[in-house]
Amino acid sequence: MRADEIGAAAAVGAALPIELRGISKSFAGITVVNSVSFDMRPGEVHALMGENGAGKSTLIKIMAGLYQPDAGEILVNGNAVRFASPKEAHAAGIATVHQELLLFPELTVAENIFLGQTPKTALGTIDWTAMRRRARQLLEELDSGDLDIDQKVVHLSVGNRQRIEIARALAQDARVLIMDEPTAALAEQDVQRLMSIVRRLRKRGVAIVYVSHRMPEIFALADRVTVLRDGNLAGAKPVPEVDEPTLVSMMVGRSIDRLYPAKQGKDGDTILELAGVAHRSVVQDISFKLHRGEILGLAGLVGSGRTETALTIFGVTPATAGQILIDGKPAIIASPGQARDLGIAYVPEDRAHQGLIRPQTIEDNIALANLRRLTRGLFVDAAKVAAEARGAIARFGIRARGPEQPVRQLSGGNQQKVVLAKWLATNPRILIMDEPTRGIDVGAKAEIHQLMRKLAGEGMAILMISSELPEVLGMSDRVLVMNGGRIVGQFDKEHATAEAVGTVMTRSYTREQAA
Amino acid sequence: MTAAKLFRHETILAALTVIAMIVLASLSDKFFTAENLLNQGRLMAEVGLISLAMTFVIVTGGIDLSVGSILGLTAILLGVFWKNLGLPLPAAILLAMVCGTFAGFVNGLIITRFSVPPLIATLATLALYRGLAEGISEARSVRGYPEWFFFFGQGEVLGVPFQLWVLGIATAIAAVILGLTPFGRATYATGANEVAARFSGIRVNAAKLWIYTASGFCAALAAVIFVSRVTTTRSDMGTGLELDAITAVVLGGTSIFGGRGTIIGTALGLILIQALKNGLALSGVKGDGTIVVIGLVLIGAILVGALFDRNRGG
Repeated sequence: MRADEIGAAAAVGAALPIELRGISKSFAGITVVNSVSFDMRPGEVHALMGENGAGKSTLIKIMAGLYQPDAGEILVNGNAVRFASPKEAHAAGIATVHQELLLFPELTVAENIFLGQTPKTALGTIDWTAMRRRARQLLEELDSGDLDIDQKVVHLSVGNRQRIEIARALAQDARVLIMDEPTAALAEQDVQRLMSIVRRLRKRGVAIVYVSHRMPEIFALADRVTVLRDGNLAGAKPVPEVDEPTLVSMMVGRSIDRLYPAKQGKDGDTILELAGVAHRSVVQDISFKLHRGEILGLAGLVGSGRTETALTIFGVTPATAGQILIDGKPAIIASPGQARDLGIAYVPEDRAHQGLIRPQTIEDNIALANLRRLTRGLFVDAAKVAAEARGAIARFGIRARGPEQPVRQLSGGNQQKVVLAKWLATNPRILIMDEPTRGIDVGAKAEIHQLMRKLAGEGMAILMISSELPEVLGMSDRVLVMNGGRIVGQFDKEHATAEAVGTVMTRSYTREQAA
Repeated sequence: MTAAKLFRHETILAALTVIAMIVLASLSDKFFTAENLLNQGRLMAEVGLISLAMTFVIVTGGIDLSVGSILGLTAILLGVFWKNLGLPLPAAILLAMVCGTFAGFVNGLIITRFSVPPLIATLATLALYRGLAEGISEARSVRGYPEWFFFFGQGEVLGVPFQLWVLGIATAIAAVILGLTPFGRATYATGANEVAARFSGIRVNAAKLWIYTASGFCAALAAVIFVSRVTTTRSDMGTGLELDAITAVVLGGTSIFGGRGTIIGTALGLILIQALKNGLALSGVKGDGTIVVIGLVLIGAILVGALFDRNRGG
């Protein structure tokens, strides 16, 4: 019955909280969304998928009123509308939970939820009682009564902040909630919690646009899925009618046969050795060997000291004890510049903050770690810089207008390729990759995995840090497990199973036991 | 394409400068004469030298408020070294400039070693250096310099004021360093994203240390020219000069948040301000009126810049 009603409503185009018809949008002559139609029914979770650069971000920004379409129309409850600003989209009941959460850290939870629509008393002052009561009520409805409404947001975790953003959307009476990769930065238990909140919202009749790369979530949550490819609609289907391979091939336009490429060649000599290395008390007693041609996986929970170990090898936080040997010779690494000159490259976990200078162009970013090589006499050789960037764009298949496009305009996967290109241009022998595929779609992910295998096959030694256990197990020739700032386990490829590695990762050690 | 983008603000500024010149020339027939223009160039040199280094400072996302005080301190030291300590004048000049440069180095050290925000660090040294200058001078001025010393501030080479040559050469060197060298790249990278610059192997702290030291050096050089031009040394010399320099840099399109800006822009900003000051004074506008006009031009230039920024999109 209900389904029939919705079907009927869809037929006349009425009562749909939002419907897009034939939307097109181009930037600087490049069409990023091409005649895409998309609609939301009340009380459904509609997954929006596609590779990075497929046009998902642009489409949701159009719905949120941040961009205006070049062609096509937007209908809200069957009436054609035009959002001149995000404010107008809000007024039409469309709210967004952004990837980078837009809260005010110095304000309390309750203040953040009601910012811009604070309850007022008859005198026109803020009605604190009403605001706090309604904030508590909203959080209760989201199964988040554990959040202290008087706490400042600055102290809260990403997962908690996200719940506040959702509460804020509800406070605005949102009928459509756009969630842009909501689980990208969440720990596993927060993911479960978020999914239960999404189910509650669905029951309340909120329509949820769910953008994610994670297949398990899509199958667990979504009612329908729309896939974009190169700005075009690749298909829209009810979730029960699709499976994972279908979705992947819809996204990439071809089928990806193997997820993880097989090892080529054999391990060579030891190139990097750590002997009892420590940085203050953050990481302690780190000893391991890395060989040429090997991919060594570094597993562990967030905060277990994996990144800190990488930063110590790379000279950002120089070792305070122990010895680092390169080719068997002791090396002192006190700065990233020294590490680079020793043939070490580090692709950091936080692309936007550590990896790239986003306002600058692709060529400038690639040149930055290679200035010495790209300088002739006293001057930077602009022709060489451009040639280097053009080579990288071709080699890594970076989707860009050209070497002079600012990096911030690229999609996540392409930005990651720029970081990789920058570091591979330094001709490293040791490559440290921290979360190499975080927030990247399946197609780009497979490309990066293949590239890693190829580099290892050519004799490069790769140290890979990843929070995705399947990635660690699939890519690594050997796995080290960190816990509490120490290495607590080592597994060969045969013995590295999800259970074995997972157990060591999550076991709680006291300092003494770990030592 | 990059060049087109980079020069957009500078093009507007150049057009604005030309228009201002034409208007001012029509208001007073004394304005657009070789003699007046060269004389204005003479007056512009001190702020100009400081603005060049200030461009680097602001491109890294920093600020140097102490330059006016460094100028004052260097001037006083010059006088004291020569008159009170009896050093030969060339040695006094050199030593005073070393001290001024060292004052800039100290700024850099405070900022890089102790991670003090540049605004706070140089606000403190603004007071510190000015206090030192006043303490050392004991409110006495130094006069009676030998005739040859006045060449720096009053002499001419090929009919052009000596300090205008210095400013011209310094501008060319600064433009080349910022625009074409690895050091320039490091400067922009530091201002745009310091963490990413460091993670790319750029020696961020070394670059900053050099830049604040150069800022001290430029202020010291300006001090020598200043003393030579006005033939006397007083402890309040250069008060407020930092704001004139910052105005020229910002008017020239350098982002106060760092990562963006050019020497050509700063040079244009400098010329526009000096032309307005002089031209309006010649046209009978009172001093207060001139400041108001400069303020309005600055706001206008920033609004236009912001407008282009938005259109550029992202």
